[in-house]
Amino acid sequence: MHVELTINDSPRALFVDESESLATALRRAGHTEVLCGCDGGTCGVSKVFVDDEVRMACGMDALEADGSTIRTVQSLGTQGALHPIQQAFVDHHAVQCGFCIPGMIIEAAALLAENPDPSPETVRAAIDDTLCRCTGYQKPVRAILDAAERLRTQPEAADGVIADE
Amino acid sequence: MNNSADSSAEAAEVHPLEWDEPEDNRKPPEDRSSVSNRVEKVDDTKLVTGEARYTADFVHDFRSVGRVSVVRSEIPHGRVLDIDRSTAESIDGVWAVLTPDSDVVPESLYTSAGQSYPEPSPWDMHVLHEHVRYVGDPVCAVVAADQPTADRAAETIDVSYEEYDHVVDPDAAFSSDAPQLFEPDEVANEIVGHDYDRNRMAHIEGELGSVSSAFERDDCVVHETEWETIRQSHANVEKHTALAYADEDDRHVLITSTQVPHHTRRQLAHLFDIPIRDIRVKKPRVGGGFGGKQAMVIEPIALACSLAVDRPVLYEASRSEEFGAMRSRHPMRVRARSAVTEDGSIEALELYALSNTGAYGSHGMTVAGNVGSKPLPLYSKVPNVRFEADIVHTNTPQTGAMRGYGAPQGTLALEGHLDVVARDLDLDPIAFRQAHYMEVGDLDEIAGMMGGEGAERRIRSCGLDECIERGKAAIGWDEIEQPDDPDCHRGVGMALSAQGTGVAGDELGGAQLMLNEDGSFHLHVGGVDIGTGADTAFVQIAAETLGCSPEKIVIKSSDTDVTPFDYGAYASSTTYISGMAVRKAAAKVRERLFEWASRMLDAPIGSLIAADDRIHHETTGESVTFEDIGYESMYGEDDREHIMATGSHSTDESPPPFAAQFADVTVDTTTGEFTVNQLVVAVDCGVAINPGMAEGQIEGANHMSYELAVSDGIAVGADGAATVESFDEYGLPSATETPPIEAILVETHEPTGPYGAKSVAEVPTNTVPPALSDAIADAVGVRIRSMPITPATLRDKLTE
Repeated sequence: MHVELTINDSPRALFVDESESLATALRRAGHTEVLCGCDGGTCGVSKVFVDDEVRMACGMDALEADGSTIRTVQSLGTQGALHPIQQAFVDHHAVQCGFCIPGMIIEAAALLAENPDPSPETVRAAIDDTLCRCTGYQKPVRAILDAAERLRTQPEAADGVIADE
Repeated sequence: MNNSADSSAEAAEVHPLEWDEPEDNRKPPEDRSSVSNRVEKVDDTKLVTGEARYTADFVHDFRSVGRVSVVRSEIPHGRVLDIDRSTAESIDGVWAVLTPDSDVVPESLYTSAGQSYPEPSPWDMHVLHEHVRYVGDPVCAVVAADQPTADRAAETIDVSYEEYDHVVDPDAAFSSDAPQLFEPDEVANEIVGHDYDRNRMAHIEGELGSVSSAFERDDCVVHETEWETIRQSHANVEKHTALAYADEDDRHVLITSTQVPHHTRRQLAHLFDIPIRDIRVKKPRVGGGFGGKQAMVIEPIALACSLAVDRPVLYEASRSEEFGAMRSRHPMRVRARSAVTEDGSIEALELYALSNTGAYGSHGMTVAGNVGSKPLPLYSKVPNVRFEADIVHTNTPQTGAMRGYGAPQGTLALEGHLDVVARDLDLDPIAFRQAHYMEVGDLDEIAGMMGGEGAERRIRSCGLDECIERGKAAIGWDEIEQPDDPDCHRGVGMALSAQGTGVAGDELGGAQLMLNEDGSFHLHVGGVDIGTGADTAFVQIAAETLGCSPEKIVIKSSDTDVTPFDYGAYASSTTYISGMAVRKAAAKVRERLFEWASRMLDAPIGSLIAADDRIHHETTGESVTFEDIGYESMYGEDDREHIMATGSHSTDESPPPFAAQFADVTVDTTTGEFTVNQLVVAVDCGVAINPGMAEGQIEGANHMSYELAVSDGIAVGADGAATVESFDEYGLPSATETPPIEAILVETHEPTGPYGAKSVAEVPTNTVPPALSDAIADAVGVRIRSMPITPATLRDKLTE
């Protein structure tokens, strides 16, 4: 079986097994930025955009994604040109082991596209299903609030996926 | 413990009051160029873009990688009689099925504890077990072309057992009538006080003065309280993962998610009878450790499987294996007793711990030792102190090292006890503690009273007073306002804690620093960054010493073929031990830079200073850049030299960092529901090398400590098996479930540490359970002593 996907703007055809998750298929295709910590849609680190909706890639069958547009954290920024959300995580020392961070950044991007000026409580609610063992969430929440301000004052800094929409 | 004058004199000599500190190790804040700056974490840009590589990502380097599924015991105690693997072996894509008698599976006993050699843990494990001791013991391993095939094949394997009686409760296990987990020939490297007839793997005790005499005094009242802690999961989001393969020189390589690459190399070499030089352990980015990876947990299975199929093999534990068959925090029952005079003078303190080490004994004795040796020294003014622990086996999942390492269990008992006594005697809980806690200049003998693990130590830095003052102000200790709802009551509680910085006299770290011709440097460190930011701290320490910007230093760490030796990331040692090795290497390189600059500037070395990527003449203002020196030293006409140096550090010192924890809670007396309004924790970690990273360590540790107070942890059933299989069933507090945490850094200067640093990452793990218990007692007069604190337990207590 195979599925046709658009991954970070590149069309791809992937061979997949019937029961395998989207995360497994993406990782086998080299997208190791999609991490998996739980074996099935509970920890939130595998979050990606599937047709602009945030999904846990490890909790979704690859076949279900056939024909969809996938955007991973790599669609946001590069090491040389970080997206403001990524930059805020760096500036606030909100990253420790980093394993949950791609999922958290995807969730933050979705939140800020919807609500450019969220309260701390709204940010916490948005990342509530992304588990982090390192940070106690204090600095990630601050980073997302700061990223919101950066995006409000300098929207042009985010010329990635969110600003296009 | 021998408390004679002779031993005190000897200890004073080992730990003199004066410390021979290099002059430039102590810098006022304004003179620091890199240390105590919020330097960007060196691996952050690759982490936020998803380009960083964790162990499982390395499978893409190979054309074909076998995947492993492990068959684990389904009974709590028994012996394997037969393994029917015929169906599994007939499945397409199955490459091998390993059983305890397979040639590639070592026969010898070992411990998974990643500790120094010989490990202070009993060798009581096999890679695959015939005698199984808990639901989850590994019996058989399947290697297949892909994970679904391996998992499917593993399910077809039929293991038949002779079942034995089992025991789950530690009190019941500690008896000659209980089912016995170990026969005498099933353990080597036994630990002091072992008594396997009663399932005891170790017994430890130590005393200073005479506690029993104080308990008998007429002017003292003896107070006794008992406390209990949960079996906590590390819940590292990256599961235990190891990739094993043979390289082109037919040497054995493991890329693995570990805190202890060098210990793992040695332990694999001994277990598999392979020369140490023929094993390479590489640590890539690690998705959290917290002690759970201070152990060689899955590497032996990965290596055995790779040997069996002669191909690369990846073993990635499942999340259910993480909860049921990796490691966890030792659940404990701790009794605290004190003798206190009417006016609040503590004449004696005693802790007794019954520690449940589960089916095996890794870290069992040393963790239990820290129940006493970390919290008790805080009260160094108390003249009579005693600690005792029994560490017993049960047919339950394995325990091991976990952040705090016994100190959280001891801190709950000691700090909770002191609060109970203070309230009984109507004393201010803070003043009561302050009258007895340590101060600069003290010779702490309590830390050393059990010998071995902790030694006596001189206290050279202590910011406890300031921690308390700033913590009190932040929580609003004296100005708590009660809610309008008459059923709701608000209260505040606090707790203090001390930890160590490395294992006194049992640490080693190495570093190597090399100059490139463009004035940049390569820094190779054995030390292990598991997400803590250690690599960044090493770079900052090197940059401070050299007088260069951190961006000029390229760091490589934790590859046993390439980097120097290191004991690994545990015991809060990394910045202090490995960081000092970096400082030493950098100081030697700076000497060579001065020597070359002296020649190039024709100026005496004494007139030179290093700053801003240059060597400057102090008075003339002339300078040469590190790049000038790089090209001149490598390509110059006259002399040539590759400017490089190594540093190695080990010490008998282990200075305590300190924490003052405050908790603010509102309790609804009708329901038992409670809201933690705020956690504040002020920490003295000496000079924070990177305040941003240090705050992150404190906040994360306090989150873990909060979980220890309010979560069920890994519950076990009547058969001793973990009843938690997924994050959905485990109480890891989410973002909305975590109270706001305020971390306060209180700077002191620790002269034995690099630029005044001591440890930070463990001490805030110890303090939320007692502080929250105190806050609830303050709010509603009810004391919870058995963790977790839940609305149900609180409601039951309120209606008693």
